[in-house]
Amino acid sequence: MENIFGFISPSILSQILVGLSRTVILFIVSSGLTLILGVLRIPNVAHGSLYMIGAFMAYTVSHLFGGGNTGFWMALILAPLGVAALSFLAERSLFQFLYEREHLMLLLLTFALSLVFGDLVKLIWGAEYRSVPVPSIFQGYINLFGGLPFPIYSFFLLVMGPVIAILLWLLTNKTRIGKISRAAAVDRDMVGAVGINVNWVFAIVFVIGCLLAGLGGVLVAPTVSVTLGMDHTLIMEAFLIVIMGGLGNVWGALLGALIFGLTQSLGILIWPQFGIVFPYIAVVVVLIFRPTGILKSTW
Amino acid sequence: MKRSPRIVFLSVILLSVMCIFSLSHAANTIKIGIVDTYTGPATTFTNDVLDGFKLAVDRINVGGGILGKKIEYTTRDEKFKPDIGLAMAKELILKEKVDILMGTINSATTLAISDFVKKEKVPFFVTFAKSEKIVGEKGHRYIFNMNENTEMAGRATAIALAKKPYVKYWIAGDDYEYGHAIADAVWNNLKKLKPSAQKVGETWWKVGEADFTPYITQILAAKPDFIIVATGGSGMVNFQKAAKATGLSQKIPFYQHTATELSVLAPQGPNGPEGVYGTANYFFYYPDTPENRAFVADFKKAYNRNPRIGALYGYMTAQFIVAGYKKAGKIDSEKLINALEGMTLDSPVGPLEIRKCDHQLLLPMYFGVTKRDPKYDFLIAGNIETIQGRDYVPSCQEVLKLYKK
Repeated sequence: MENIFGFISPSILSQILVGLSRTVILFIVSSGLTLILGVLRIPNVAHGSLYMIGAFMAYTVSHLFGGGNTGFWMALILAPLGVAALSFLAERSLFQFLYEREHLMLLLLTFALSLVFGDLVKLIWGAEYRSVPVPSIFQGYINLFGGLPFPIYSFFLLVMGPVIAILLWLLTNKTRIGKISRAAAVDRDMVGAVGINVNWVFAIVFVIGCLLAGLGGVLVAPTVSVTLGMDHTLIMEAFLIVIMGGLGNVWGALLGALIFGLTQSLGILIWPQFGIVFPYIAVVVVLIFRPTGILKSTW
Repeated sequence: MKRSPRIVFLSVILLSVMCIFSLSHAANTIKIGIVDTYTGPATTFTNDVLDGFKLAVDRINVGGGILGKKIEYTTRDEKFKPDIGLAMAKELILKEKVDILMGTINSATTLAISDFVKKEKVPFFVTFAKSEKIVGEKGHRYIFNMNENTEMAGRATAIALAKKPYVKYWIAGDDYEYGHAIADAVWNNLKKLKPSAQKVGETWWKVGEADFTPYITQILAAKPDFIIVATGGSGMVNFQKAAKATGLSQKIPFYQHTATELSVLAPQGPNGPEGVYGTANYFFYYPDTPENRAFVADFKKAYNRNPRIGALYGYMTAQFIVAGYKKAGKIDSEKLINALEGMTLDSPVGPLEIRKCDHQLLLPMYFGVTKRDPKYDFLIAGNIETIQGRDYVPSCQEVLKLYKK
């Protein structure tokens, strides 16, 4: 069995798979971030909070439906929609009035929102750790090459990643709203000048971006404890990925997430004590050679 | 028009009554200031401290207070920031003139406040901060440590682990001070008790790591006998979930300090991993004594949930303050400290002593392993081995050597 893979050892292969499953969550969340960044020019610091709210909503929905398989599937549908509704509210009541302001203003607003959302979560769900059980069909693990375990839920994530990527590709390339938003990202005045209501395009893109954050939160929920503060680490990584990939470029987010996830999992293999530094070294290396990111930035 | 002088007259009377009342009010209470983290993830632990404390204080106030004075407490949220915490401690002591200060979960805040109370000569009861410096090299007369610290947890664990047959150890944990402190304490003490133990490798991940699978596969490939996992906060649950998902908990036994604690096991429900070793100072179901049952019943009645470790710290802090003042016979900080030194009180976990030399509360430590129990819909600790405070707390000699006079 091991000979089939030639020079690549089974532990490297399993580490690559593990890294890829991690990439999925990072990609989903940072693609939403980069979408908003590219089209609306909002550096949305509250994106991580929406991810956290998505996870908490997943907890509530899954428990409402008994915590089993149905609970999980309902959470997968309802929680991102809940986050989308919340973001729609935020966009209509706050962001739409500030698009013409400078980035610093928007940054401050999203930062304030992240604090508000954080306290909101504490008010509604309390400070306890919450846990969404892994749905029974995805429970357990299988032994990969060399007997290394791989959680079945991670396989599910590996399937979800490409599905989301394809959906995003269809959305940005095949739909009217996608085309308009791509155009708006390049020159929003021109789009407005040809008679398109940019305001609503922005609202829809913002909601879709936030929906992705919520979806990331739901997908991550079964693997971690749902808790206050889960937004902080993620938003850092998501911004690094977006910067590495090229601001506003969805495919850049995919590439960035891949680099981030894989350098981390393979880094652990090389030097477990300092495994955490590898993704950051990768970011530094990328930015030295391509200061504006790997792919074309829309900024 | 006729009425107005009467109104003025009445309000003057009312005002003066209020003044007198508030004056006597001020003189007739014992003021306790609590600085702790009440926003963010740490709230999981600090709310229990506060609720346990309130439970005891409310009962004492209903019963007439101490020496005829009621206990009044006021809380400040330090938001897990040492500078804010210190500013609040200063405000409480200088402006609010509190008699006693208590808190905090943040070790850096605790050490900052500790320096200040030493100058101001105000007793400070530490509830939850785990740094060994608090009663070690930064220890002084005005500080009381009501919980275990990393060094103590490490010693207790080493005592229990040394009896087990494992030889090849892997160390993994959150890459921050608490993680390294716990890991070092367990490992250094284990090495002393069992020189044949060998470390085959180490893994450190960043705090807040969401996905442990890549780390676990790496550890599994190295095939150690036992893993010392030094996680804290939400990392506790995250690691256990990953251990369950990858089957690690069935393949290689591992240990986490507080792995068996309710705050870690309850959220996972029946899906928590079995066979995880952990240490904790308190369980609501153990020891199964009338004292503990009564405490749990009271706590449940007041807050509609089971008490966790922090509840014991808060509850006992209030009990010691009360007993201390009673013994001192006067509301006086120096007399209170003298009274508390060496004092033993009954508690839900049996008699507890505040050691004279360093003001450390000697709590029993329970080493156990997670298991299912039909009585609960979450895992609990089983095979509990009790390690008494005097066996795992560093000796007075050791501690006083660290003191920086």
